[in-house]
Amino acid sequence: MSSKAPSTMTQAEIKLCSLLLQEHFGEIVEKIGVHLIRTGSQPLRVIAHDTGTSLDQVKKALCVLIHHNLVIYRVHKRSVVEYEAQCSRVLRMLRYPRYIYTTKTLYSDTGELIVEELLLNGKMTMSAVVKKVADRLTETMEDGKTMDYAEVSNAFVRLADTHFVQRCPLVPATGDSDPGPPPPAPTLVINEKDMYLVPKLSLIVVLAVLHSQAPLPESSSVCSQIFRSLPGSYNISKQVLDQYLTLLADDPLEFIGKSGDSGGGMYVINLHKALASLATATLESVIQERFGSRCARIFRLVLQKKHLEQKQVEDFAMIPAKEAKDMLYKMLSENFISLQEIPKTPDHAPSRTFYLYTVNVLSAARMLLHRCYKSIANLIERRQFETKENKRLLEKSQRVEAIIASMQATGAEEVQLQEIEEMITAPERQQLETLKRNVNKLDASEIQVDETIFLLESYIESTMKRQ
Amino acid sequence: MGSSGRRAQSAGWRKKSEFQVGRCVGPGVGEGRQVFLPGSLSIQAPSTMASRGGGRGRGRGQLTFNMEAVGIGKGDALPPPTLQPSPLFPPLEFHPVPLPAGEEGEYVLALKQELRGAMRQLPYFIRPAVPKRDVERYSDKYQMSGPMDNAIDWNPDWRRLPRELKIRVRKLQKERATILLPKRPPKAMEDKEETIQKLETLEKKEEEVTSEEDEEKEEEEDKEEGEEEEYDEEEHEEETDYIMSYFDNGEDFGGDSDDNMDEAIY
Repeated sequence: MSSKAPSTMTQAEIKLCSLLLQEHFGEIVEKIGVHLIRTGSQPLRVIAHDTGTSLDQVKKALCVLIHHNLVIYRVHKRSVVEYEAQCSRVLRMLRYPRYIYTTKTLYSDTGELIVEELLLNGKMTMSAVVKKVADRLTETMEDGKTMDYAEVSNAFVRLADTHFVQRCPLVPATGDSDPGPPPPAPTLVINEKDMYLVPKLSLIVVLAVLHSQAPLPESSSVCSQIFRSLPGSYNISKQVLDQYLTLLADDPLEFIGKSGDSGGGMYVINLHKALASLATATLESVIQERFGSRCARIFRLVLQKKHLEQKQVEDFAMIPAKEAKDMLYKMLSENFISLQEIPKTPDHAPSRTFYLYTVNVLSAARMLLHRCYKSIANLIERRQFETKENKRLLEKSQRVEAIIASMQATGAEEVQLQEIEEMITAPERQQLETLKRNVNKLDASEIQVDETIFLLESYIESTMKRQ
Repeated sequence: MGSSGRRAQSAGWRKKSEFQVGRCVGPGVGEGRQVFLPGSLSIQAPSTMASRGGGRGRGRGQLTFNMEAVGIGKGDALPPPTLQPSPLFPPLEFHPVPLPAGEEGEYVLALKQELRGAMRQLPYFIRPAVPKRDVERYSDKYQMSGPMDNAIDWNPDWRRLPRELKIRVRKLQKERATILLPKRPPKAMEDKEETIQKLETLEKKEEEVTSEEDEEKEEEEDKEEGEEEEYDEEEHEEETDYIMSYFDNGEDFGGDSDDNMDEAIY
């Protein structure tokens, strides 16, 4: 996972990191974390001095941040330790619920709880995780039954094998940390990126190809291998599989390519192409929802034809000139489309230069990604605002619920319970309902925008790797 | 700011004589360089310009490119000028697409809210120190707020963290060693879970500290003046007749029942 240097963080990303840190770890950790993100690598005393925080508070905050893999430290000469924040890692916190859910679908509740515990606690030894998860599962089981530790262990090992969970590096014996024997059970940390990729490609056959592949997405997979790794329940014969594969390979989207004929056909998944298609689809969808379907038509046209003149756009899209112009400029002003000059003569005279519209997918994706960060920051702020506005009412309702719960436990009568419930008036109930609806909507929107972020970031990373 | 010289010639252009284009491309000559027009096209209201009638072509500055090529012909009506920053909440032209509903969406949503609530309860969530109340109250002695010696509540693997991050717990080490020893046996016999737990954490902390203490005592005693924390709990236990954990002044009433909450935390 690449981590960006602090100097390349945009204001929007820093703001988002600040909100996330504050929500999950409190103001003190947020202050230290944001300071490190902004300024890069710094030693302990400088941090304390620059942020005006007491040394103890800084130490506490750094412990939390390092433990949760958000900050790393390096020992320089003369035993000076410098701390550096990993901004992209902080942004990953948005995705935690998605990770847990994905694990649930693939490895059932045991896996889900393992991942949840590790995400909440940053790092843990395997024995600690197994114990905690087993105990939690035992609580949910019927009386008298207990969760088998071995079963949890097995689930854990499976997660480690597929890289959902990874082992922390063994502790080196450096000057500033006490040298010690390696821990008896490995400490583990969550490894994010890989796990989300699998559910994205949901075609059955594609999954089979993935399973039979080496970790590198570019390596080919033999047809017979694919056949063997298909789950038995699908009952697909070899010929049908062949047909499916040929169909997929011929598809214009080019997700799967045929790279040779040995062993019945070698097939390759072209992950970059897949990501590029998804990214362009996202851009098209954004344009459609923001500017209308005619605009989207123009956009798709320019995308397809690569470069178009003003007149050509009007002709191909069959949209009147004035409207086409208007739409092109709207998209141009928001940087979805760009203008390219092609001079006819060496002196670049304006009257003798072609001006062509074109779509630069990479830069448009970057622009959209930036907007996504801003959007999520806005969503979080709004949610916090809504919660703050209704703080008093929320606290009251929580108290009432607690009273009811304790009364029910001690066997109170229906009448008494009703009396307590009436402590919250009808308009207050209404207000609470509205608040809950709004907060849910905002939360759901955050999750949705995060999906887009995942897509765009993957695409950008994949493109940069190839250059 | 540029104006089109050709436009000056058409009569109807008294008012809309100038239009403004956002910054054009940077310097340098090159094949097929990209031009970004960041701002939206806008015409400036020429309150002073109209009075000058003609003579606009001279000295006003030509555009570097042919306006017709980008599709703005002569005499075309351009949109009105923007005189103020764009509104804070611009009205949406189209209704936003509904969020994905369904089991997966609901589950992930519930997970998110649960995680948020859970993280606030964990020891990793560091709350700023509660500001001291106006008057020192008797009950303060009985209330345990925050970790006892300003250290952290949880036990990280100290081998993975730089030594400098460890907060020292020191106060008259020798004295403490002697006081604790006789106290431990009677405490152990009492059947109070919390005090036993407290002792265990204290012991652990002691072990961590005493192992380091000898090496560093000489070096660090000067440096650590500002960082020493008063280790008060011992004194409390000596002074009061009541067990700390028994005291409840009713302020927490109703606020502690988070154990079996199924509702989402807002």
